[in-house]
Amino acid sequence: MNLNVLFFGAAADSANRRNAELKLEPGASAEMAFSKIVEAFPRLRDHKLLFAVNQEYTGGDTILKDGDEFAVFTAVSGG
Amino acid sequence: MTTDHVEITSAPISVESVARKVVPRECGATVTLDGYVRKFTKGRETLYLVYEAYEPMAISEMKKLCGKARGRFDIANIGMVHRVGRLEIGETSVVISVAAPHRRAAFEACEWLIRELKRTVPIWKKEIYADGEMWVEGEPAL
Repeated sequence: MNLNVLFFGAAADSANRRNAELKLEPGASAEMAFSKIVEAFPRLRDHKLLFAVNQEYTGGDTILKDGDEFAVFTAVSGG
Repeated sequence: MTTDHVEITSAPISVESVARKVVPRECGATVTLDGYVRKFTKGRETLYLVYEAYEPMAISEMKKLCGKARGRFDIANIGMVHRVGRLEIGETSVVISVAAPHRRAAFEACEWLIRELKRTVPIWKKEIYADGEMWVEGEPAL
């Protein structure tokens, strides 16, 4: 299955892109996807990161589906 | 019947228009926060800021905060607008207006909403200095 990965803010600078496609085995969890993404873009390790699935904060044990939107970003700093 | 107004915009924000959008007849006070770009942060001079949002999620998180605030405080409508893109010193980055029958609940809810916005709504700020730039990273509280 494929995930549509999005990066924002400092995470986009570290990954040097704003989006990517990630291939995963069916049944993969959010935590597995997150590890693969950090492995693919090691400069992300410079940050404390959060992730969201389909525009919702979610736990690492969430099971992903084909076509899910998986966003990776640093702790937020709006206001 | 409540009508919140939640928006992400790249255009300048009119503070008054956000406040006036949320005033129902049964209310007696609106508290409005006007958050704007500060020139000096910890002694370092900022030239300007760039804000970026994960827009659909930011809107959805802002709407969730409105619902939660109404559960915690005796308030009516909420206006919440955040700007994105390049902002000059002194320009408004965020406006939160809370209308309530009585002022105390409006003050408390407004403070709670900005605190939660800064903690959970996916928006990021980059500070641009004369000699460099830096994304501000918040406290990961989730």
